Amino acid sequence: MLSDGWERYQQHLMNQRKSTEEDINARPWKLPNATKGKEYRSEDIPIPSGMKIVGIKGLDEVGLKWEQPGDSISISGKPTRAGDFTITIQFQYTKYEGKELEGRPRPLFERKIPFCVNPNSRDLWKNVPTSRDVPYYKEDHVCEYVKVEAGADGTPRKNIVAASKRGRSHAQDAEQPRDDHFQLFHSNDNEWYIIAVADGAGSAEFSHKGSEIACRTVVDYCRGKLMNASDLEAKIRDYHSAENEESARKIVGDVLYDILCRAARSAYNAIAEEAKRADAELKAEPKDSDATRLHTFCKKKAIRDIAIRDFATTLLLAICKKFDFGWFVASFWVGDGAMCIYNKEAQTFKLLGTPDEGEFSGQTRFLTMPEIFDDKRENKAGRKSPPLLYERLRFEIVEDFTALMMMTDGVSDPHFGTDANLNNINKWNEFWNALQEGCPDDETPDDEKPKVELTDGSEASKDQLLHWLDFWQTGEHDDRTIAILY
Amino acid sequence: MKGEPIESVKVGIEAMFSALRTNPYALDTVSMSIITYDREVKQILPLTPIDQIQMPEITVPESGPTLTGAALEMLCKKVDSEVQKGTPGQKGDWMPILFVMTDGKPSDIKVYKEALSKIKQRQFTNIVALAAGPKAETEELRLLTDKVFQIDTMDSTAFMKFFKWVSGIIQEGGKSMGAAEDIALPPPPDEVNVVI
Repeated sequence: MLSDGWERYQQHLMNQRKSTEEDINARPWKLPNATKGKEYRSEDIPIPSGMKIVGIKGLDEVGLKWEQPGDSISISGKPTRAGDFTITIQFQYTKYEGKELEGRPRPLFERKIPFCVNPNSRDLWKNVPTSRDVPYYKEDHVCEYVKVEAGADGTPRKNIVAASKRGRSHAQDAEQPRDDHFQLFHSNDNEWYIIAVADGAGSAEFSHKGSEIACRTVVDYCRGKLMNASDLEAKIRDYHSAENEESARKIVGDVLYDILCRAARSAYNAIAEEAKRADAELKAEPKDSDATRLHTFCKKKAIRDIAIRDFATTLLLAICKKFDFGWFVASFWVGDGAMCIYNKEAQTFKLLGTPDEGEFSGQTRFLTMPEIFDDKRENKAGRKSPPLLYERLRFEIVEDFTALMMMTDGVSDPHFGTDANLNNINKWNEFWNALQEGCPDDETPDDEKPKVELTDGSEASKDQLLHWLDFWQTGEHDDRTIAILY
Repeated sequence: MKGEPIESVKVGIEAMFSALRTNPYALDTVSMSIITYDREVKQILPLTPIDQIQMPEITVPESGPTLTGAALEMLCKKVDSEVQKGTPGQKGDWMPILFVMTDGKPSDIKVYKEALSKIKQRQFTNIVALAAGPKAETEELRLLTDKVFQIDTMDSTAFMKFFKWVSGIIQEGGKSMGAAEDIALPPPPDEVNVVI
């Protein structure tokens, strides 16, 4: 009789345990993924009634702790390791009737929950230098300072500083060179400045050469045209003092079309020529080491033909000069990025065009697309047609400015992101501050943030600017190039 | 698909998640959504950044039709509602890439053909279709994309290689490109055949 009752009691305890076990395992508890080194806090996990937590296994090894505010627990801290882990929560009954009778410990229940700690992406970036075997090899980063001596009367003149750096996303692979490029020029003879910045398409195999040819060709072309700029300068003066602004503006516009749009056209032609040459080289027996390099590379990448689209690049081009009545700035722009005349004192800015952007990130137009130069096309029904060539041309006369800034999307996207922000003076103020005070970054102490001293004649600023281009922003790791006339 | 093949797919997907999580650029930029289709169409994973993804449950029925068309219909709706397009005030997402896998053929062929035109109205960097195993037919898939691939055996090796290749394609997706151009696919592994 007694033993019968004892067995029934044992059976009851076992059933109770089993149903508790099932209940605990059926609860939809999940731990959201964490990231190494980033503050983590799980959602609250309610403790089943009649139960208490006796411990949580697996937290120490990831550097987390748990706490019990009231009837639930939560897990928090900064994970110290990345990987896939299992967290085991251990429960016991708060009251256990079997204890006294048996003198054995209360039964322990365990619930295992998978827990993923992502690596911190900052730990994962490699810096693999571009291989010299890549056709058209170029340096992974460059910077330049163009110091312009003060005028005869001692008034300081604006200098140019520029830097270009291969993006982290490219630096993972020895075969992905820096696609960006820039070229600067200042004429000591007649005071014209010429600046070009270009960004080769990540999806085009030889775009790093495309951007280089584009910058070099347009700067050379403009240099040639501006060697004798007296006609243009006279027309600019007429325009400044003109009563009929519209007709004078058109006259200047025509001359500029002849300089800037033709410069762009000559860059297109130069790239087309290089594409043709490379294609012929690929299809012939290699005759020198460059050709062999091209053959080996194309074989590896299964490239059989080379066309101009393999050299796709954007282009931002500006020419400017100081007159006694102010600054004349003219520009030509195909693609994304940003180009702006910023005046901190007057709190004004002027964008020198509109970036070509698609609906999706990374979509843009390139100088290498024939439609850019097609000025007679008809609009295709239902399609947003690209601007006509002359619409890419801008010119302005401004009294003075703090800086003329030209940058590729590797710089403008993380700092502006949208058209609305590019058209917001506060964003330009923030950008100007970020250059000099360092970029916002929750993982770098303020005194370690790279800053740029933009004071007159400070040549060190070119290296500072190059270092500044290392700023961090999640998901923004493209090549970065900026040129500043200030 | 059921039994060992679907288990191999799960393992392959998990391996793909891990691979993408150890690539810093992918970890920062990739989001993924999974829609399963058999006699039912379910979005088992809404578009989620890779660092937040937890492997969803994949359940498969014993038998029944394959509603590929209905799956593409749902896909179009989800692309419209979950992929952020660029506006003056909001930066756009990267253009999506679509992978379609099947071990059979569409049972809802009329819906499938209607869905094809809806897919064509939407932009994808690439559409990659995989016909897995001996019963998979490639004919209908070729209406969807010219990038149709095929694997003979549905074992873990083949799926592992396939998903490794897929993670490579995904990593290529984050590159600047001209409007209306597509990006060339990296060459597939030996186990994956190109359907010509």
